Amino acid sequence: MNAISPTPKRAYDLNFARYVYENIDGGERLRMCMQCGACSGSCPIGQQMDHGPRKLFMMIRAGMKEAVLTSNTIWNCVSCYNCVVRCPRKVPITYILHDLAYLAVQEGYEPAKKADNARFAKAFWWSAAKYGRTDERLVTGIYYFSFGIGEGMKRGMANQKIAMNMIKTKRMHLGMPHAIKAKDELQKILAKATEIQARHGKGA
Amino acid sequence: MEKKIGAYLCSGCGIGDALDFKALEGVVSKEFKKPVKSHECLCGDAGLAVIKADMEAGEVTLPVIGACSPRVMTDRFMLPGMTPIRANLREQVIWSHPAGDEDTQMLAEDVMRMFMTQATKVNDPVPFTEGDFSTTILVLGGGYAGLTAAKQAVKAGHGVILVEKKAELGGNAANWANIVPSKPPYHDPQANPLPGLIDEVKATSAIRVITGATVAKTSGMPGKFQVELSDGSSHTVGAIVLATGFRPYDATKLAHLGYGASADIVTNVEMEAKLKAGKVVTKAGSSPKAVAFIQCAGSRDPNHLPYCSSVCCSVSLKQAIQLTKADPETMVYVIYEEMRTPGTTEEFYRAAQEAGVIFMKGKATKVENGSGITVTVADELLQQDVPLGPLDMVVLATGMVPNSTDPDQPAQEYGAELLNADINPYPAGDSYNPTPAVPPGGPLLNLQYRQGPHLPMLADGFSDSHYICFPYETRRTGIYACGPVRRPMDMGEVHEDAMGAVLKSIQVIRNAAQGHAVHPRVGDLSYPKINLNACTKCRRCTVECPFGAIDENEKDYPVVNPTRCRRCGTCMGACPVRTISFDNYSVEMLSSMVKAVNIPDEDEEKPRILVIACENDAYPALDMAGIAKHQYSPFIRVLPVRCLGSMSLLLISDALSSGYDGVVLMGCKPGDDYQCHFVKGSAMAKERLSKIADTLKSMQLEVERVTMVDASIADGARLPKVIDELVAKIDAVGPNPFKGF
Amino acid sequence: MTRTLTYYPGCSSQASAVHLDKSLRAIMGPLGVALRDIDDWNCCGASVGHIEGGHLANSALSARNLANAKSAGPEDVVTPCAACYLNTHYVNESIRGSEQLKGELNEALGVVGKSYDGSLHVRHICEMLVTDIGMDAVKAQVKKPLTGLKVAGYVGCQTVRPFANTERANKFDSYDDPTFLDDFTKACGAEALDFKMRTHCCGGSVSVMSPDKGLHLIKELLDEVQKLGADVISTPCPLCQTNVEMYQPEINKRFGTNFNIPVVFYSQLMAVAFGLDPVKDAGLDQNIIKSDKLLSK
Repeated sequence: MNAISPTPKRAYDLNFARYVYENIDGGERLRMCMQCGACSGSCPIGQQMDHGPRKLFMMIRAGMKEAVLTSNTIWNCVSCYNCVVRCPRKVPITYILHDLAYLAVQEGYEPAKKADNARFAKAFWWSAAKYGRTDERLVTGIYYFSFGIGEGMKRGMANQKIAMNMIKTKRMHLGMPHAIKAKDELQKILAKATEIQARHGKGA
Repeated sequence: MEKKIGAYLCSGCGIGDALDFKALEGVVSKEFKKPVKSHECLCGDAGLAVIKADMEAGEVTLPVIGACSPRVMTDRFMLPGMTPIRANLREQVIWSHPAGDEDTQMLAEDVMRMFMTQATKVNDPVPFTEGDFSTTILVLGGGYAGLTAAKQAVKAGHGVILVEKKAELGGNAANWANIVPSKPPYHDPQANPLPGLIDEVKATSAIRVITGATVAKTSGMPGKFQVELSDGSSHTVGAIVLATGFRPYDATKLAHLGYGASADIVTNVEMEAKLKAGKVVTKAGSSPKAVAFIQCAGSRDPNHLPYCSSVCCSVSLKQAIQLTKADPETMVYVIYEEMRTPGTTEEFYRAAQEAGVIFMKGKATKVENGSGITVTVADELLQQDVPLGPLDMVVLATGMVPNSTDPDQPAQEYGAELLNADINPYPAGDSYNPTPAVPPGGPLLNLQYRQGPHLPMLADGFSDSHYICFPYETRRTGIYACGPVRRPMDMGEVHEDAMGAVLKSIQVIRNAAQGHAVHPRVGDLSYPKINLNACTKCRRCTVECPFGAIDENEKDYPVVNPTRCRRCGTCMGACPVRTISFDNYSVEMLSSMVKAVNIPDEDEEKPRILVIACENDAYPALDMAGIAKHQYSPFIRVLPVRCLGSMSLLLISDALSSGYDGVVLMGCKPGDDYQCHFVKGSAMAKERLSKIADTLKSMQLEVERVTMVDASIADGARLPKVIDELVAKIDAVGPNPFKGF
Repeated sequence: MTRTLTYYPGCSSQASAVHLDKSLRAIMGPLGVALRDIDDWNCCGASVGHIEGGHLANSALSARNLANAKSAGPEDVVTPCAACYLNTHYVNESIRGSEQLKGELNEALGVVGKSYDGSLHVRHICEMLVTDIGMDAVKAQVKKPLTGLKVAGYVGCQTVRPFANTERANKFDSYDDPTFLDDFTKACGAEALDFKMRTHCCGGSVSVMSPDKGLHLIKELLDEVQKLGADVISTPCPLCQTNVEMYQPEINKRFGTNFNIPVVFYSQLMAVAFGLDPVKDAGLDQNIIKSDKLLSK
């Protein structure tokens, strides 16, 4: 295990590939990527990605850390797992993209602060960690307002009709957030897990 | 013994139904006044009994068999006494032309005329078996290839003289601790088997090891080579195995890849030495943490070696795996354009990937040496330049230069011109015109041959002839190359290659002693005989022989070395005065066969076109056409020849002056990617044909009447169309005005 | 004979997919299955928890659920939600395959006195229906066959990928061409249309958070469904159901289309076919686009 997170300052870092191999969930299989492109070709929104997984993985090998962690590829993944089941070398691509996104958040890259997915994840995790359940109403609300008050209002209004439909069909409730009973317990577990992650040089 | 010819016609396989046998028998009995018998199944026991009875009774000594192609039933018709003449009435007559047709009948009758005529012109060949023949094999080169060859030759019962230039056996392989795996699961470098092999060879009494010696001179021929060594000793050997290996490409020419700029930029050979010595360290004395391999360093590059050396990819995989095993913290990059890992090496490639080696597809465009080395990679997959650095070491994967010359010997003027003409088949201005054709240095064997001291090489400098059709064969009979001097290869391949060259050596030793030809005319007992009374000393035969079999004596007369000869007859075709012939093959015989054909009058509107067909590919392809029942013009008459190289221009003028309307030469593809079984026979025919225009003009004939067609053995479906087109073309020119003269 | 299984409903069962939960609970009785909910179950992290929480913390969510499930008994854990299945199954299998992960997660669970040994089997409820119940048993419960109902079976992604064809998912179906959903449809007596895009992605949470990126994917699906002349779309996935249903007006606005196709859960179809109440048991009143054909059964 390489416990040192490579420096975020450098555009090229030869240690980055090794870091990914050893620290990213599923990263050890990335050694076997043979650059066939089945992943990028299978991606339903690959055309909206700047690089696509195939190229992103080659960039990792080339040590292009900054370009990888500022790439929109990691934020555009829809988690359909087409690439995972089609990869002839059994590279767990989706998992790797998720963990790279986490790394980008941890290292504070700008796109990781601004990307929809990152904002949504922040709202989602807040709800999951605080209440033990994700309340769709709360998560989307916090997500919308992460863009600022004005933008939040705008997004909320745009989805008002959908929200009304959900409320009418009793699929969105208006009371207190859903929550588990043992919130403290869960928070302790998560705190410990976060602490263990930090031992591996991941997270704050 | 007096030659008595008798003809036997087979009516089996539908031949009897398709042809008028009475008329066919009449050709033999009336025109040739020879006995003729027909049988419904000549190749059956009863049919053969008819022929055997006549031969035992002394009534026939040379049977002419009008039946199937000479390419089939050869064992059935192998009768004691003279080899029967076979007239092909099946594949090339009734299977390729309509039954009961007037033109088919005329074709069949002409076929009988041609081969009855051949019978009158052949004699039983008297083989060359003069003097003693040695069974010893001389192996030149004491590396892995030579050691393997020596060991295998002894196992097959032959004595060996193993000559090594250096003081110690082992060659290049002596510098390698580990080799690319040849055993499952092909994941880890294997121990080098060389030390054990050296011990084994040294302990074998039938191998005489001579180290520190080179070959001063080689003369003679298979079965009786005279080899003089630099130590003054002289040896008579039956065959020679050339196992001189390779030298690494001169890395000082790779300054553009940083060679020489830093002690940490090394070749794969130098890295191998470091790995053998123990722990790899940089010049600063530390274990390298980041190493890049640059593949194809000076290979597949028109400015350096134009070819792929085939092993550098797997060698880099091996070294990369060794480096990551020695220090798991080491990051290894392999910059490649194409990773060439044939066969099980693919497993080894996978093992390197598993070990975490990073492969970058692209070209190293710049190597800079500052604080650490930076290699700029034009990455094909990223479509951008990637500055790879800082690196602690860079390894240049350099290729192999064949030791087809001895770099320590001065180049010899004599024969160099001939050699260059031989190896540079690319026309000037050709897009692929490799520069370093001949590796610098002197000849290895210093052959005392008319055609020079060198072994002919392929364009890239490898000593080989046609490595697909005739592996191990050089263009000097009895001398067989194996290992990297023949083509780049790894140790596993060298092992097999050495065995192959030894088998070829044993083959030539056995055949030479019996006066037999070797491949491709295996068993042929004839060899060229020259009537020196008619010889004009023009030297065409000594220059054109594809195998350098003919030398010149002190009076400039040609001298045939029969066991060097492959019996193609290129000398015979070259001789302007037709004084070279074989006991059973001569210009006169072929000319008589051409003239034996009945040429119909002009008003019958039945043109006749002579097809001179090479026996190796064109003739079998015509048989294949028949087997597939492809139909073609019945106006052609096929004259089989040993090689188009044996075609004398006289045959063409004879054909045209006797009224044929055209001549088609059908033979193997000439040129740099030749398919000629005798290397350059068809090229010689093409060369001669380029001079036919003057002859035709002097006869006031159109040049369109004579053409040459490339034919491969797979052309059975194509040739009928080609024939029909040519017949139509020649027909359009109009009838030959010489008809009826 | 009734079999008991541990049940993980997932967060959507409380909100957007409440009708999935309702209809499933309704059909399990007739099929002989008793569902016992995981005590105080929590969120699985879905597709985004990892990004903010990190791999280990996100896995800890599932670890707590598994620990609670195990303490209730060794029975298999089933879940109807694609994301819950994906995360819980993945964490469970990872624990079984990695001593390090098992150790670290138990270290985290240990702070509240819990532990988990990896001994459970986490299964998608559809896989359980295919493997354990079988279509014959489903057919046996059909009282009101849905004759003449044209159904486009939309499987989506995570129900089958990346596990459907693995040993631990009993290789219950293929990744690209699954048939289980059409088998459910046919068992209910309805007509299963040959919907080629059955495993195409609806955009998942990306469609929720960034409609600009994902709506065209849903539009393509609806185009194909409309071409086939489907009465309803059937799906096993809560997010697919929501995305494909709730965005139809927005898609109509953006692309000039006129989609109004009901999107129901397979379990709602089964509930109606089993002769249960279309509203009380199948929850068909909770679909935004109502299926009159089903409600009138």
